[in-house]
Amino acid sequence: MADFFLQALNQVGNPAVLALITIGVMFGIVGGSIPGFTVTMAILVVFPFTFAMDPVSGVALMIGVFVGGYSGGIVSGVMLGIPGTPSSITTVYDGYPMAQNGEPGRALGIGMLASFFGTVISVGVLVFFGPLIAGFSMNFRPWEITALIVFALTLVAGLSNGALLKGLLAAALGLLITTVGYDRNSNLRFDFGFEPLNSGFEILPVMIGVFAFSQLMSNLEQLSDERATSQRVDTKVAIPYRQILVDLAGQKLNTLRSSLIGSLVGALPGTGGTVANFISYDQAKKFSRHPERFGKGIPDGIVASESSNNAVAGGAFIPTLALGIPGDLPMAIMMGVLILHGITPGPLMFEQNPILVGAIYVSLLFGAVIMVICQLMLVRWFAKISLIPQQILVPVVLMLCAIGAYALNNNLFDIWVLFGFGIVGYLLWKAAVPLTPLILGVVLGNNLERQLFRALELDSNWLTFLTRPLSALFLALAVASVVFSILQNRKINRNLKAQGSDA
Amino acid sequence: MSSSTPQARSPGDRVCQKEARAKAMGHIVLNGLMAALFASLFVRAGDLPSSMWEPLGSGTFPRLILAVMMVFNLLIIAKEGRRYMACQPLAPHAVRDWLWRHRLAFGVLGLFTLLTLAVPLVGFRWASLPFLIACQFLLGARRPRALLIALVIAVVMSFGVDALFRHVFTISLPRGVWG
Repeated sequence: MADFFLQALNQVGNPAVLALITIGVMFGIVGGSIPGFTVTMAILVVFPFTFAMDPVSGVALMIGVFVGGYSGGIVSGVMLGIPGTPSSITTVYDGYPMAQNGEPGRALGIGMLASFFGTVISVGVLVFFGPLIAGFSMNFRPWEITALIVFALTLVAGLSNGALLKGLLAAALGLLITTVGYDRNSNLRFDFGFEPLNSGFEILPVMIGVFAFSQLMSNLEQLSDERATSQRVDTKVAIPYRQILVDLAGQKLNTLRSSLIGSLVGALPGTGGTVANFISYDQAKKFSRHPERFGKGIPDGIVASESSNNAVAGGAFIPTLALGIPGDLPMAIMMGVLILHGITPGPLMFEQNPILVGAIYVSLLFGAVIMVICQLMLVRWFAKISLIPQQILVPVVLMLCAIGAYALNNNLFDIWVLFGFGIVGYLLWKAAVPLTPLILGVVLGNNLERQLFRALELDSNWLTFLTRPLSALFLALAVASVVFSILQNRKINRNLKAQGSDA
Repeated sequence: MSSSTPQARSPGDRVCQKEARAKAMGHIVLNGLMAALFASLFVRAGDLPSSMWEPLGSGTFPRLILAVMMVFNLLIIAKEGRRYMACQPLAPHAVRDWLWRHRLAFGVLGLFTLLTLAVPLVGFRWASLPFLIACQFLLGARRPRALLIALVIAVVMSFGVDALFRHVFTISLPRGVWG
């Protein structure tokens, strides 16, 4: 353990890799601080730059973006009252009022240090639980892996805000996309006589197209409204270091609780920073001696929000590395990058690539340190950058997406794939179909088919999925997640009807 | 049926009702088209070869997924059909309004199509330069200062990025038929 950790430290401690983490962190903060840009988009934009890098450098750069991105949302949240990323919504509740009360530096400083502690605590959770879960999952055979993937997909679909059917449809569509091209026995499926489709769709152009286009087009639909409400913001911010340290000294329990919530929520498929954010804020309010001061600019609210959403970073790596199942969009892209570099995330990764696993731990820690230094030193500039208008952002990001799709295989057809799936993603977004299950379906589709095939090859009886305890447990959980989602939707509808009849 | 129909109480509510009807119609059309496509793929997957030695043929997994998807499509159509019946009809100019609201998104998608067509012909640099300028113009860069900024960004992000990829990352972006 210590040996590979030291080797990883040696590789990541290389000045070139540290410089990449710094660039990644700064870009992530910029991405996270621009409303409507999101952490996922920042990762998508940076990913083509990793093609020419070795795995450690590429992963370190991406982790820098990941860590910086989750912390960047605080800048626009505090300065503009608009969360830069959905995972910093509750930061606005107390950060913005504190800034309006003349203390923007205090709000930003508290948030930045809480982000730092959140990331560090989540790395501790990752280091402890990652190998444990990976070790346990080494016993999984094809039946268990198939059932686990089905469970992950239904869980993500079920958490799609009252759109269970659409979530399940999206997950299935993602799986279907992976069936295009030659199968394992060199039989051609769904190429429609079009030769470039023989090898199937590359995962990354599909993911970029589906996510980036829908996000950017939705930004454009809001563009005219933003013009009307565009505001000038005073970006002259000074951080009151002494006061922040005093503030944080009284937040030890809140920081620890929120970071653990963030790590746990991050480890669950389909949840991510937004859910962690709300749960932590709610818990901080319940445990507080001054719940009435929440929403008016209390440090407790900022600490709960920022430590939890940054803790998602470490937590989200647990299922990705230990099981090969990404829990959310940024992790799905991270998994795509690892696969691109010839590394298959999963339990074997801890045995076959221990140095890379260690490099991920170390990169997260270095990223956290660099993030807090950059944020504290350059906050004024990040606040200015968060005002970049969509008219610049949209074309530049679209163009970088095109480069990313092309540079993957130097193949112009992949730009058309990007465009085609961009249209599909936009249409589905307009139809309120959740896109995360689709992308997880694309990432997990090949493995699901392979494992299902192996399971039936070993035992052609489908009932074996129900007679093996763990496989049966995962399938039961899959059914339970669907039933729970249906019951929850009914409850929400009943409440809405009750509110309607009261009005 | 009528008892469960939500009643519009204000002009605002009536607008919501009309939008809900349009959305329901959109869902029905989209899912109907998807179901038809999936049905044709289901039939096509049935023609894929199956192996004598393996439990699953090439078409089994896709057919499994396609069948499940068609069920989901039909369930969504049934659900949205009920919603459609419960809502008021759309105003005559609703489609025009919708197109106008989405003009920027459609404009950018149109420009991206031109970019994709132009890259193999003129290369990345010369395709992306006008794309970036035209996009920024379309999205609101109209005054001289904004246009100057748009031009600088376009040059940096086309020629600059091309040079960065070529010389630093040793990845050659398309040069076009004359490159």
